[in-house]
Amino acid sequence: MTTPEPVYDVVWPLAPSAAPAGSLAARSADLSGKTVGELWDYLFKGEEMFPLIRRALEARYPGIRFVEFETFGSIHGRDEKELAATLPGLLRQHGCDAVISAVGA
Amino acid sequence: MLRAAAIAERAGVPSVSIVTTPFMQQAGVVSKGVGLPSLPIAEYPGVPMTDGSDAVAKKVEALLPQLVAGLAGARDAARPAVAEPGPRDVVHRGTLDEIQEHFHRNLWSDGLPVIPPTLARVERFLAQTRRAPDEVIGRLLPENRAATVWSIAVNGVMAGCRPEYMPVLVAIVEAIAEPVFRVEDAGSTPGWEPLVIVSGPIASRLDLNHGQGVMRVGRQANTTLGRFLRLYLRNVAGLRIPPGAGDKGSIAGSFNVALAEDEGAAAELGWPTFGVDQGFTGADSVVTVQSVVSISAPIYSAGTHALDHVRILAEVFGGACAYWSSIGMKYARWEPLLVLGPSIARVIAEDGWSKDALRRYLHEHVSITARQAETYALQVGATSYTLEAHVKAGVLPATYAASSDPGRPVPVFVQPEKIGILIAGDPGRNQSKGYVNNHIQGGRVSKKVDGSP
Repeated sequence: MTTPEPVYDVVWPLAPSAAPAGSLAARSADLSGKTVGELWDYLFKGEEMFPLIRRALEARYPGIRFVEFETFGSIHGRDEKELAATLPGLLRQHGCDAVISAVGA
Repeated sequence: MLRAAAIAERAGVPSVSIVTTPFMQQAGVVSKGVGLPSLPIAEYPGVPMTDGSDAVAKKVEALLPQLVAGLAGARDAARPAVAEPGPRDVVHRGTLDEIQEHFHRNLWSDGLPVIPPTLARVERFLAQTRRAPDEVIGRLLPENRAATVWSIAVNGVMAGCRPEYMPVLVAIVEAIAEPVFRVEDAGSTPGWEPLVIVSGPIASRLDLNHGQGVMRVGRQANTTLGRFLRLYLRNVAGLRIPPGAGDKGSIAGSFNVALAEDEGAAAELGWPTFGVDQGFTGADSVVTVQSVVSISAPIYSAGTHALDHVRILAEVFGGACAYWSSIGMKYARWEPLLVLGPSIARVIAEDGWSKDALRRYLHEHVSITARQAETYALQVGATSYTLEAHVKAGVLPATYAASSDPGRPVPVFVQPEKIGILIAGDPGRNQSKGYVNNHIQGGRVSKKVDGSP
């Protein structure tokens, strides 16, 4: 007769989520006349992508305006608290209605 | 990048983020972690760093509809309520084999068998700390989970630690929860791995190896402390390689076993220990955690004078750091670690050199050309990188732009005081080794161990 194998009751190895609740900002259906900020990590060819995006959106949406990435500086390697403290004010200061953030790679 | 988008969204500014295909899964983890799982993304197919200008133009054209949809039409998706288990909830019952299967299937294991985390085992760990089980040490991105004392005990059990390691485990998590450690970047493509260094009396109390084979799997405390941290990063920070997500280390490496110093040798030489270098007393038990992205070749050096050794140390350790130092220069934060064999340290110290003198020598004698630094940074992904720009921005000292000659030598070690030095390894051999850190990611953080005098 074989001895029955022990059985274990085990607990969860993860931990409670600390993700804050949140929802997306309200969108405008038309980008015409809007101001779009460019947030860039200064990596992965964003300097080629942003001008292409600008030209394409300007052709499609009259009056659309861009606040170019140089205004905000690199968002890569920035202290998260410092970014959270300063970015909203910069976006207000430059009248940004929307932002494009790039490049995640 | 997604975190910047989330900040904009919370400020009432709609966003869309451009993410390359290989990073879409990681983007999902980050989006959930920042509390905005529907954060709009426009997917760039492929790898921009190997795309020519024509390919970039075509791919940008292709992602425009997603970009517009994200800015003008995105809405929060309905979020089904997901009830997660409480700490004392039994999530599975089974034999040892069944527990392993369950943990593997749920990506809760590192691929090695785990010790089943039963309530009784977890309680034995908790008995070794004065901290309350529900105390939150910090929150760990990218999955953004609360690093509770309970979760530390559970993962400590799984890793095969002994209960008496618990105060060290807590100190490890305190270290990685510090913002300067940047745990959110522990899944970045360089694939760096944290290194735990245990200093002070607790190292011998827990029987940590500091001698021959110090960085080899095989001594329980060294091995399981290192394994614990990798498991904790998987389970609580959410850094999992495929089939999971969150960890994008391109090739990466396995966990480092914990390192301890031969503090007796340091005392004999009159050198401060590594723990004292971090601002503690020799009587303090201290845990330090820092990133390691690569390791030098074994550095054998021979001779009876300090210079016989430091010349070779500078060449081999400096050579291991050289190309990667360009990223350290970008942030002017760069904390490589030199593990000196006891016999080497003895020759250097007995020749009248202090650890600071060794640091200065390395700073002054290890260089890379500006061209090498700038060219390599561009390969990594930087679009424009010049040392001159970093000098102008006040990040680097003026010596880095002393001329415009691309062949000019610039120091590999930006700040000599940031070079960590400790004595460990085989006292019967003349070998040292260098550990290259990942610039600002995994910055060196030290914490006193609870209960140490």
